[in-house]
Amino acid sequence: MRSDVSPVTVTGAEAPVERLLRSLRSLEQAYSPGHHGRWSARRRSDLVDGAVRGLAQGLGPNVALVALGGYGRRQLCPRSDVDLMVLHPGEYPDAMFETASRVFYPFWDAGIPLGHAVRTVEESVATAGERVDALTALLDARLVSGDPELFGRLESELSRVVATDPAGLLERLRIAAAERRSVYGSCSQLIEPDLKESAGGLRDIHLFGWAGRILGAASLAELVHVGVVREREAAWLDGAEEFVVRLRSSLHLETRRRTDRVPLELQPRLAEAFGFDAVAGLAAADALMRTLFEHARAIEHVSHTFLDRAAAKLGGPTTHLEVERPIGPEEVLRAFARMAETDTPLGPESLDAVEDALLGVPRWTDGMREAFLSILHAGAGGARALETMDRTGLLSRFLPEWEAVRCRPQRDPYHRFSVDVHLLRTVAGVVGILAGESGDDPLATEAAGAIGDRDAVVLGALLHDIGKVGEGSHVPKGVEVAASVLSRMGVPDPTAASALFLVQEHLLLSDTATRRDSSDQNLVLDVAARVQDPERLAMLYVLTAADARATGPHAWTGWRQALVRELVSKVERVLQKHEMGPDRAVLLALRLDEVGALLGGANPQDVETYLARLPRPYLLATEPAAVVRDFPLVAPPLGASEVRTRAGVGEREGTYEVTVVVRDRPGLLSLIAGALAVGGMNILSARAFTTEDGVALDLFVVEPAFRGEIDEERWRRFRTNLRRALEGRISLDHKIREKRGHYPSPTADVPVQVAVDNGTSDFYTVVEVSAPDRIGLLFDLARAFHDLRLDVHLAVVATYGVRVVDAFYVRDLIGEKVVEPDRIAAIEAAIEERLAAKSP
Amino acid sequence: MKLVVAIVKPFKLDEVKEALRSIGVNGLTVTEAQGFGRQRGHTEVYRGAEYQVDFVPKVKVEVLTDEDGVQQVVDAILKSARTGKIGDGKIFVVPVEQTWRIRTGEMGPDAI
Repeated sequence: MRSDVSPVTVTGAEAPVERLLRSLRSLEQAYSPGHHGRWSARRRSDLVDGAVRGLAQGLGPNVALVALGGYGRRQLCPRSDVDLMVLHPGEYPDAMFETASRVFYPFWDAGIPLGHAVRTVEESVATAGERVDALTALLDARLVSGDPELFGRLESELSRVVATDPAGLLERLRIAAAERRSVYGSCSQLIEPDLKESAGGLRDIHLFGWAGRILGAASLAELVHVGVVREREAAWLDGAEEFVVRLRSSLHLETRRRTDRVPLELQPRLAEAFGFDAVAGLAAADALMRTLFEHARAIEHVSHTFLDRAAAKLGGPTTHLEVERPIGPEEVLRAFARMAETDTPLGPESLDAVEDALLGVPRWTDGMREAFLSILHAGAGGARALETMDRTGLLSRFLPEWEAVRCRPQRDPYHRFSVDVHLLRTVAGVVGILAGESGDDPLATEAAGAIGDRDAVVLGALLHDIGKVGEGSHVPKGVEVAASVLSRMGVPDPTAASALFLVQEHLLLSDTATRRDSSDQNLVLDVAARVQDPERLAMLYVLTAADARATGPHAWTGWRQALVRELVSKVERVLQKHEMGPDRAVLLALRLDEVGALLGGANPQDVETYLARLPRPYLLATEPAAVVRDFPLVAPPLGASEVRTRAGVGEREGTYEVTVVVRDRPGLLSLIAGALAVGGMNILSARAFTTEDGVALDLFVVEPAFRGEIDEERWRRFRTNLRRALEGRISLDHKIREKRGHYPSPTADVPVQVAVDNGTSDFYTVVEVSAPDRIGLLFDLARAFHDLRLDVHLAVVATYGVRVVDAFYVRDLIGEKVVEPDRIAAIEAAIEERLAAKSP
Repeated sequence: MKLVVAIVKPFKLDEVKEALRSIGVNGLTVTEAQGFGRQRGHTEVYRGAEYQVDFVPKVKVEVLTDEDGVQQVVDAILKSARTGKIGDGKIFVVPVEQTWRIRTGEMGPDAI
């Protein structure tokens, strides 16, 4: 509408800015939001130049308008700050402020963010000496309008400062970059990176301009010529800068704000603006972030190596390795192994050489595998060697499977890093723990000491999430991919088998510990059966700790650690005591299979529940056929006082095996033992098991007190007696005393001995009682435990002639072991007293 | 209004959450917590070395409810969090002076 207004009018300085606004709007509309790259940013800067020059008309002599920072570099994103400095010779400062405001106010009034400064040459240089951001802003200084002589003085003062201590300035830039990295993180490692400040962002690209000035190189091409940037690195940077500028511009356009952080919720829209499509296993937003990560990695890596080389150029120590051409795949890996061992980078020519050495996927040799493993084991130097291998594309050449996880973003509350970065960090974590650096986790140090096959752990760490390729559950996929990687590398068994075990089970400890009840013995035994030996348990714990630490700061909390450690120490004990081990694990799996197969006719759901409920010690101690026979006793819901029995002929002539199934209650064992005694049966052995849901499953071997058979009629009487005793309708005590009167007293020279042991089981206190045999002995002992308010979980009765040795696995009514000395003394006293009581 | 605060065993969280959902509770706060009660800490043994565990990991669940709902919420937690063994946890009911929904500025029972 006001396009006819001349840019230079007496009525004021408004016109140039209005014209600028209109031109900026046209520029914005000229391209879709995803296509404002460096050309657009330069055009924007030129438009601002036009407005500044228009406003500067009529400014007095001896003053210069100087563009700083991004504006100085002629690169303005849609909402970038415009940094403008008024340079003056130091006279008439008041008049200077007035003229400056003639330029500044129209920008501010139009809502264009303009950063301003009014300084002399001396002030500028002094500020640059104090603050590194002022120095870099000045290194980008460009005269927009005004006195060229004054600006020339600034330039030569700055050149003098640079020439005085170039190495010192370079060091300041390096320190500033390191500080930025620690505050803003790494652009390629964050799901919401800062495009400007994060390492691998735009600031690292600007670094080449600043350091170039220090080295006397005016462009990237000249830096290549000087030999501090490789030609292909310059090409990577070129592509990366264009991409990041476009992304930053579209971020400004989408948010209408000056923001550099890429928020999660905006990523799908930005991906659309860029034209990224979802492909199999990768959402459009992930494809966008993956591309950003690739570019950011290139920027970060090249800027890092560039600073090293630049420092060497300025007289610092030259520390890099060289390799000789031509080289093959094995020499490439050996070169990286040397780099890892000495923590010294490869020189520019060597990097060219190793990149050129590989055509296609190489065939792995033993030497290659050794070299690669030594890189994995090399700690910090190894991490840097792997990083270089990744940036140069070599890691994916040696391991094509790596490409699918490379730069793949992860979107969950815990993971901070892309899959491949997480894997490499896990390897570094494992190496640290194996070297004894486990911080405040003493268990990790112990575990590290138990690991003999260290290759298996680092390989397991490297591959544990290799199945995260967007195709459903990552664990089975990971096992499949890891198997192909391990066989490609020619890793022999048992190392390969252990590494695959780690891939398969890497979530076992963490998931089980946080979601399941570690005080459930079945659970601990099942975990032990999957782990099978203490070394593998140690490997799994080290991987679990390193995996969690490599996930993010919130994944390995003290809370999670406490839960995992509790489970690990329980599983460890079960394995140490051979309650579970390879043989038993095989037996248990076999038993579960066999019983499952034999019960093929029953409802599969019922069978599954039955097998899950059965106490593992029972399954291990019982023939599959017997377990099958116990199915109808245990599986159907059980009434409160219902008694189910199954009796059969025992192994030894004249003995019987009987299974009793009753709802568990305190003192139950004594009632069953009592009812058996009353029925005229001697108990030769007893094993009492309890399911976690409170059903007692007690197995006895008995013989009749008198010769003869035990017929169904006697079992029926036994069931009736037990049921009546359970309901409190008869007193077994009384009946046993009656019975005892008919038999001789126990032999007096067998002493009663009681031993309380808390070292055998994590779950129970074991009370071992040695006593002379007598009618109802088990009844008495079980009764004593009941009076002590202890629950008998397992009782093993063995009869040696006149002497009986019984072991009772007990815990108190709230499920705890008995550890207090006074309670232990009370157990001993109560049992001795009970057995000393004269039979009436 | 009341705030029902429950300290429960970590592996019981899913059951507690389901129980609360089934009685119509549609918002709760979960925090990983550590502490001890009568259970105190315990000692763990790994490869012969002993580790003292002073604080036992638990989960803290907080549910805001009106006065009428308190018993129902408490019952649901009691039932779902119980194993009968030591360390099953505690439930506290504390009065709440006022509640706001930040997005809309609604307050009182409307903000539950």
